[in-house]
Amino acid sequence: MTKPTVIETRKVTKTYNVNAAPVPALVDISFAAEENSFVSLVGPSGCGKSTLLQILAGLIPSSSGEVLVDGMPVRKPMPDKIAVVFQDATLLPWKTVIQNIEFPLEVQKVPPRERRECARAMLSLVGLSDFAERYPHELSGGMRQRVSIARGLAQNPRIILMDEPFGALDEQTRLKMGNELLHIWSRTNKTIFLITHSLTEALFLSDTVLVMSQRPGRIVDVIKTALPRPRTYDMIGSREFGEARNRIWELIGGDEPTAAERVGL
Amino acid sequence: MSRPTLVRLIVIVAILVVWESVRELNLIGPLLLASPSEIGAAFAKSWPQFLTAFQITLVEIVAALAIALVLGVSVGLIAGSTVFMSMVSGPLLVSLFAVPLVTWYPLFMVWFGIGGASKIAYGVVSGFFPVAINTMNGIRNFDPQYVMYGRAIGCSPLQIVARILFPLALPSIIAGLRIGVALVIIGVIVAEMLGSLRGIGYLITSYRNLYEIGGVYLGILLSVLCALLANLGLSALERHFTRWREMQMTQ
Repeated sequence: MTKPTVIETRKVTKTYNVNAAPVPALVDISFAAEENSFVSLVGPSGCGKSTLLQILAGLIPSSSGEVLVDGMPVRKPMPDKIAVVFQDATLLPWKTVIQNIEFPLEVQKVPPRERRECARAMLSLVGLSDFAERYPHELSGGMRQRVSIARGLAQNPRIILMDEPFGALDEQTRLKMGNELLHIWSRTNKTIFLITHSLTEALFLSDTVLVMSQRPGRIVDVIKTALPRPRTYDMIGSREFGEARNRIWELIGGDEPTAAERVGL
Repeated sequence: MSRPTLVRLIVIVAILVVWESVRELNLIGPLLLASPSEIGAAFAKSWPQFLTAFQITLVEIVAALAIALVLGVSVGLIAGSTVFMSMVSGPLLVSLFAVPLVTWYPLFMVWFGIGGASKIAYGVVSGFFPVAINTMNGIRNFDPQYVMYGRAIGCSPLQIVARILFPLALPSIIAGLRIGVALVIIGVIVAEMLGSLRGIGYLITSYRNLYEIGGVYLGILLSVLCALLANLGLSALERHFTRWREMQMTQ
């Protein structure tokens, strides 16, 4: 039995006008992701990854083509269907952790008792129940990002869009956070769409990796990772993993992997 | 009594002793400096007059401050709400802030009379600009991802400003208010000195005209007291609203 499609894009194109001349940023982006799948998008910096994410989130309009979530066209933010996790956790610094998770529910006018319960449940899902009354600045970068994920989950969306959520973390924390994200994801039925510049992260976490070209961004390859779940760190050292990484590397950069990339950093 | 308090007390007593003896020994003439005992004598002689003046000035300052705060924050929020608005109003506010306001005071007297209204109006104009400019800068200098986040969870534009940008800008607004308070106090007292029949500024001018230097110094001391009280109130406000920011700083 095939799972229902949660998000689908049809020939999404974005063109900017710079000094009255059209400059294409994204060309014919078409892909689909089914329920409870984990999709990553990798590509060289400046290729329009974040632009695509903002279009998917309904934050900016596309120039042509359409985005469908649950079969409904996305024309504006849809907080009940789409949650966004940004590179900076963007937690509200004057609110405690639990208040931050409640905030999107408050905006949606969910009654206080209900939203407090929901926030507590999400907080325990990300393993931060002991930190409910702390302020964001009292947490580490990784913990802040976990709160940000809990906050997204509290919206009970169909899909969570993540824009380089672990980009600001050090490499070790980053891999740990990725693993943590897999745990959280496996306990929900959400679809995750993750933008990352780390090929290792993309391959380690995803079912599908979309590879984007340099600007104007188009999808040049779709790689299904064959790794079994649950994923373990030693898979990163396997031959298949290395081959997949090298293939993506050639697609997006055409350069040799750096020493760091070769050893899996 | 703790050691620092004790030392502070000794320093204050020493200053008073030196101050008093400078006058006793007539090292500085009576028209230039009033000794502590002469200030005390002025207070003993006309304290009801000074108390009334102090109350009038304090009310004018508080009123001017409240109006400057409301106007400044409102204008700053509007001016900072979009890139376009801040490009239009930013340079305007900053250059108006640079105009020497005191040259306008005669016009304020024509518009508002020589009573309290012209003092409050002048105080408002003095304090308005730093509050408005800091509010505008405060809501412009944040991570644009906050606005995107607000939109992504379905906030209306008004909710984004009120629930996200305004609280984020609060530390900056309060910093503007700090400058604003100083300027409002100066504004109100200068206005009283230039043309008025009431208030501390008026007493300072009239005692100077009578060559009663004790009264002049008493007036100056009372205006310092106004500034101290205003700053005390402001610090309480700051502690209340920006606890999270202070905690962030000390981390």
